Amino acid sequence: MAIFKKKNKKPLSEYSTGELILFRFKKNKLAMLGVAMFAFVTIMILIAPLIRPYSMVIKQDIVHRLNPPSKEHVFGTDELGRDLLARILYGGRISLFCSLAIIGIAFVTGAIIGGTAGFFGGKVDTILMRIVDMLMSVPSALLAMAIITALGNGVWKLVMALSIGQIARFARMVRSSVLTLRNREYIEAAKCFGSSSWRIIMKHILPNGIGPIIVSATLTLGSVILSISSMGYLGLGVASPTPEWGTIISENKVNIQYFPYLGIIPGICIMLTVMSVNFIGDGLRDAFDPKSKK
Amino acid sequence: MTEDKTKPIIEAVNLCKYFKTHKGMLHAVEDVSFKLQPGKTLGVVGESGCGKSTLGRTILRLQPATSGEVLYEGENILKFNRKEMHNVQQNMQMIFQDPYSSLDPRMSIRALIMEPIEVLGARKKMSASEEKDRVTEIMEMCGLPKYYNNLYPHELDGGMRQRVGLARAMILDPKFIVCDEPVSALDVSIQAQILNLLLDLQEQHELSYMFITHDLAVVKYISDMIMVMYMGQVVEMAESSELFAHPLHPYTRALLNSIPTIDLSRRNRERITIKGEVSSPINPAPGCRFAPRCPYATEACKQNQCLKEVGPGHFAACTEGSL
Amino acid sequence: MANEDRTVLEIKDLYVQYNTDDAVVHAVNGLNLTLKEGEKLGLVGETGAGKTTLALSILKLLPDKVGEIRSGSIIYKGDDLVNKPESFMLGLRGRRISMIFQDPMTSLNPTKNVGDQVLEVINLHFPDLTAAEKTAKVDEMFRLVGIPASRKGEFPHQFSGGMKQRIVIAMALIAEPELLLADEPTTALDVTIQAQILELMRKLKDEFNSAVVLITHDLGVVAEFCDTVSVIYSGRVVEHGTVEQIFEGEDNHPYTKGLIHCIPSLSDTSKRLKPIPGRMPDPRNLPEGCCFADRCPFCKEMCTTTMPEPHEKDGHMILCHLYDPKEAGND
Repeated sequence: MAIFKKKNKKPLSEYSTGELILFRFKKNKLAMLGVAMFAFVTIMILIAPLIRPYSMVIKQDIVHRLNPPSKEHVFGTDELGRDLLARILYGGRISLFCSLAIIGIAFVTGAIIGGTAGFFGGKVDTILMRIVDMLMSVPSALLAMAIITALGNGVWKLVMALSIGQIARFARMVRSSVLTLRNREYIEAAKCFGSSSWRIIMKHILPNGIGPIIVSATLTLGSVILSISSMGYLGLGVASPTPEWGTIISENKVNIQYFPYLGIIPGICIMLTVMSVNFIGDGLRDAFDPKSKK
Repeated sequence: MTEDKTKPIIEAVNLCKYFKTHKGMLHAVEDVSFKLQPGKTLGVVGESGCGKSTLGRTILRLQPATSGEVLYEGENILKFNRKEMHNVQQNMQMIFQDPYSSLDPRMSIRALIMEPIEVLGARKKMSASEEKDRVTEIMEMCGLPKYYNNLYPHELDGGMRQRVGLARAMILDPKFIVCDEPVSALDVSIQAQILNLLLDLQEQHELSYMFITHDLAVVKYISDMIMVMYMGQVVEMAESSELFAHPLHPYTRALLNSIPTIDLSRRNRERITIKGEVSSPINPAPGCRFAPRCPYATEACKQNQCLKEVGPGHFAACTEGSL
Repeated sequence: MANEDRTVLEIKDLYVQYNTDDAVVHAVNGLNLTLKEGEKLGLVGETGAGKTTLALSILKLLPDKVGEIRSGSIIYKGDDLVNKPESFMLGLRGRRISMIFQDPMTSLNPTKNVGDQVLEVINLHFPDLTAAEKTAKVDEMFRLVGIPASRKGEFPHQFSGGMKQRIVIAMALIAEPELLLADEPTTALDVTIQAQILELMRKLKDEFNSAVVLITHDLGVVAEFCDTVSVIYSGRVVEHGTVEQIFEGEDNHPYTKGLIHCIPSLSDTSKRLKPIPGRMPDPRNLPEGCCFADRCPFCKEMCTTTMPEPHEKDGHMILCHLYDPKEAGND
């Protein structure tokens, strides 16, 4: 908040580019709300042991099954009488970590593949994009299943499997934005005073093309959380009784009709996370763009 | 030193640039040769698609040439390796037509002007404060107020952006600048400001320009020599005043006749409107490429034609129908 | 031709503004204009002078909610268009007033063949004709603009820029409008093609006797094509006269003079151009008094405080304190 306070002392024209980006980001109310929401979710997940011991996640209590939220069980219990709050807190660790890791890996790999293909064009482009097309032509769930079957079960292997399915999208998106930017005159101008390809990509193409890709990455987060759960439902990756938001919804789906809190509460958690990341993404995009008025 | 003066700074020898398209080879620049003396301006005129921009880019090695040579102070730069090229690149810069797309929208004006020193001038070993001074100096030289430092391109109008483009090209103290339609996107009153700035800089720094444009009035104002291109070939080349006084090639004459001017006495002139339009030179047949539109075309035009010296320093590929 | 001097269009004291999120952009500020039947009027001015806004105002095509005609009147053949409903404008656009836009590449539909695009205009305005009559009309129009009718089935991308502009002209003129607004029709074209298009417009104008408003920044094109010229600066007509009065006359508005000095001449060489210093005032924040004052070499104190009154002599109007009868007496 330091810059907020200094605002009146220092004229905007003396800010460095980095400070300006931060300033614009902080002025964006929605983005700050996103940061607050995301921080809340993260902190709750991190301090989970202070709220509920891990043992409660798997402790079954058939007598108190399907209890609605009460003083003892703030979020209620599921059909095996497990405390929903504990399951959501600890499940969040896996959901949040895995989905962020999946998006991160897919984003970086996709950007490298798509960026290389788009920037250098020609044969490189053809070869890389045909590989991406091959990845895209296989249903991502099937692809992930095949990979997990080959590699064996485990959280890391799940992350690898699901991120490979997402790479194709990002590669395509990055490639198309690089293709439109590549022929801009300012790229040619940069070549004119001898900028290396690396410098052109990092200084000119990346900052100009990243906006819509960030937004799309944040939007993908929700569907990734759900696909982790569908893998779990198939017994791949994270399997019951280890909790995880998507799994919590799917294991309770028979009872959701009569005990809606079982679906609503984990649903809200997913929604909050996706929304907060989305707000942050929007804020970042606007902050990087000097043309935005906010 | 006196000998150096007469040595051309840039020379093109039989320069060709072809592009592969799915329809065949596009002969964008065909067999172009010229010499440019230090402190002089070579105007390159022609309609869109005549290869004038490609010529400029090929000379700067932004695109690889198909064949021919580009000599910078007598050395063929097309054979240079990366390191040697970096050394020459400081002396050869370019300014672009579109002041809106030639500046990275995400960079502040200072960062934009400073970029060439960051990239190329590193070996000049400037300190941060020297770099800052240099930017201030160059901004003043190009008529940019100091407070523009931290503005972004979208906050400036076309004329000011073009000054930024010029400042960026000038910061390395080049000797040769390719100006690709630098004033075509500007209003007349701003255009005149930029043209005068270009001339001032040329006088102060003994710059050589290759000035690419479709605007004949502008090219006449700024150039010492003029080269007229049609579909990749040079059809006529002469001293500026000579070309306008005695245009010889049928295309040049039609071009000069088509320019609208504010001289009302030309309103009732006999108009030489040439029919048809430029097609692209894909796998062109030998012979004159203007022949399909030329009122004087005969069977003989299907023979290969080359530039002939028709007067002192005046070259034309054809003089059919001239007086 | 007894009605030769009948007025087609009269614009009186027109104010148009754009209401954007953070400011009000004053695009047209008290503009007056008259156009007679069959007249070729050139509207000259730099980017941002309000030329295109004026054309869009006449057709009432200003962007919804943003563009607003504040006051004034646009009288077209006795009807004040400012107060007319959209239904009235629909009958006018393309039928009695046509517009040619600057960029022929974007004003044609890329997925429809050009014959059908021209036919669509006929279907819209002459629904009663038989199919054969419609086709005959389309073929005739293609012949007039110099495109073989056999190319009717082709799509816009198969034509070059100049040919596309011919098709746009065909669409604009097929309903034989009484008024043609041409917004920079040749700016995107090469000189030799520009010459062809201007020649075509000249020929067609004689054919249909439409009044033409040619909007351009190129004084040369105006001098070649037009009978009368209006010079626009900051949303006002600062000078109006015949081409002779503007380009060959002694008395000119300082801005017009400045513009003429900015154009490199083909005949005399080696003289430096005299650019007009500075730039047009910000339309969000117009100065008091004359808008050209801070760029004007003849600026006097009163220029910065009071708006000059139009001064007219033999149909030559100049909006400048220099030509005030009272002031002139003092000099």
